[in-house]
Amino acid sequence: MCPRVQSSFLSISRSRPVILSRSSEGYYVELGPSVQWVQIDLGRPCSLNAVLIWHYHSQARVYRDVIVQVTDDPDFITDVQTIYNNDHDNSAGLGIGKDKEYIETNEGRLIDPRGVNGRYIRLYSRGNTSNEMNHYVEVEVYGALSK
Amino acid sequence: MKRTPAFYGLFSLVVLAALLFRVSGLELRPMHHDEANQAVKFGSLLEEGQYCYDPTQHHGPSLYYLTLPFAWIGSGTSFASLNEVILRLVPAVFGAGIILLLLLLKDGFSPPSLFFSGILAAVSPVMVYYSRFYIQETLLVFFLFGAIASGWRYLQERRWGWAAAAGFFSGMMFATKETCIILFAAAAVSLVLVRVLGGSPRSRENPGSKEKNAGRIPPVHLLVLAGTAIAVSILFFSSFFQNPRGILDSVLAFKTYFGRAAGAGFHTHPFPYYLKMLAFSHYGNGPVWSEALVLILALVGCAAVFANHSQSMSERLFLRFIFFFTVLATAIYSFIPYKTPWNILPFYIGIILLAGQGIVFLLSLSRKIIVQSLIILILGAGLYHLGLQSYRANFTYSTDPRNPYVYAQTSPDFIYLVQRVEDIARLHPEHKQMLIKVITHPDEAWPLPWYLRGFGKVGYWQEVEEAGPFSDVPLIISSTDKVDRLQLHLRDNYQSEYYGLRPEVLLALHIRKDLWDKFIDERTLK
Repeated sequence: MCPRVQSSFLSISRSRPVILSRSSEGYYVELGPSVQWVQIDLGRPCSLNAVLIWHYHSQARVYRDVIVQVTDDPDFITDVQTIYNNDHDNSAGLGIGKDKEYIETNEGRLIDPRGVNGRYIRLYSRGNTSNEMNHYVEVEVYGALSK
Repeated sequence: MKRTPAFYGLFSLVVLAALLFRVSGLELRPMHHDEANQAVKFGSLLEEGQYCYDPTQHHGPSLYYLTLPFAWIGSGTSFASLNEVILRLVPAVFGAGIILLLLLLKDGFSPPSLFFSGILAAVSPVMVYYSRFYIQETLLVFFLFGAIASGWRYLQERRWGWAAAAGFFSGMMFATKETCIILFAAAAVSLVLVRVLGGSPRSRENPGSKEKNAGRIPPVHLLVLAGTAIAVSILFFSSFFQNPRGILDSVLAFKTYFGRAAGAGFHTHPFPYYLKMLAFSHYGNGPVWSEALVLILALVGCAAVFANHSQSMSERLFLRFIFFFTVLATAIYSFIPYKTPWNILPFYIGIILLAGQGIVFLLSLSRKIIVQSLIILILGAGLYHLGLQSYRANFTYSTDPRNPYVYAQTSPDFIYLVQRVEDIARLHPEHKQMLIKVITHPDEAWPLPWYLRGFGKVGYWQEVEEAGPFSDVPLIISSTDKVDRLQLHLRDNYQSEYYGLRPEVLLALHIRKDLWDKFIDERTLK
């Protein structure tokens, strides 16, 4: 299955899919300042077991307002389930989250979706402690096709 | 271009432009930890009238004493009401003053050469960047330049007043930064080299002149020079006789600085570090930074020093002195393993002088209008590029690690931490008298003392266990490697957040839950 990737930022075209690959270590996608998101279309609804995120791995930094949502709606309007939210002061405007901020490492951040179902995964962030930009080195999604 | 009112008018414009470049937006860049360190040291002089020279750090006293009038005018005698702009105005004014001092070099440099050197100094990114930095370097360069210019004027006029001025500036150099001995050594060797290779200006130009104008310097003038220098440094290092021990400490300090120069640790950089930084720097997807134009023009200037025979003998000897001084100072600073980018300044001013000379030499090569126009066009483009880089370095990239002059700079993110502390203090019944515990490694505490200067109860510790009980402490700031141990004490009673201090260095802010909830409630209501 070849996931399609979209983002809130113009530098990644909404119409052109971007494949995030492990072989691209040392490279990253950069999105502009303020709240930005990337969205992954798994092609079909899936039951999710794990989401692994690498925003950055060559420097100790914290990405702000990391929020991960899952739904079958490509516009993220209906039946949106939040599986991770560390926006403790609601600065992203998507509600206060209880998850903790974390420092990026080369091991990435493992998020447990607790088996939620959905075809689309959207990952938000709002800059980081080193600069105002948003980055993604890699996102891995593990799961199985929903029956 | 002669010394006409038009020359002085144009030169004034250059000084004005230099000043504007240096004083605009001084509040934009967060305080570097070295600046904060100097600022807090100055704070005790401002509020308590106390200054005690420390031979192990902070460098000399001149910066603090010269900041006093700026602070008195700008914010009175309260450290809390002091701000970055007032502090940074000190190096900014002295940075522009360096260009003004060029006028003392009459007879040593032609007016066009001074004019071009002035423009280069006004727009040079590295000169502008560190003229906006509350550290000693710009003052050191100002006093160095004053000493050289006064020395030159003395050799021209043989008046004791210029000898005293040279002594004053030399004393101020020492009272600014002990490492000025590098510059004294470079100047002394350069004088010897000029003497050996070319003789003295007076003796060559006026072989039949009387005793007063002969090459020999009257011993009384040497005494005036040395006496003034020693008196000035004694005044400052003794805190104007309040701390006589400071005089001895100023000499003992050399042990510290020699040791630091050899074992530099984090600040160890290879020999070509400075010249490479000036010639070409490019990091990540940032812009290319280069002052190669100045370096190339300085090389042309070096050629002019020895090849151009249109100057008078005294001009030629002075140019040779500048040449030897610049080469020696550059070599010595590059040879010392301990390197910080602001150490470029003391020798770069020599490079700029030679570059100004290089421009004049280039323009004199041909009298054809088209050739001169072409040279002026290329120089104009080069100056525009320098100005553009200066703008980027000081405004667009002032804290960006892709700027080569940004060195362990405090991250703009750190200001968000300060804002959060201010927000929470507003909600706390005791406001700025609430207790704040800071538990960090020593090098991760700065620039907190500057930014928390308005808070009445701030304690600093290096270990969690040393910081006493945590129950009811409204705010705790810690290094990230102390978070796990702190968490054993804080449990779920605190909201933790991370903030960037410097590249690779983060701080954690722990806010007591009731204050945090109050903060969120207030925010939600808005």
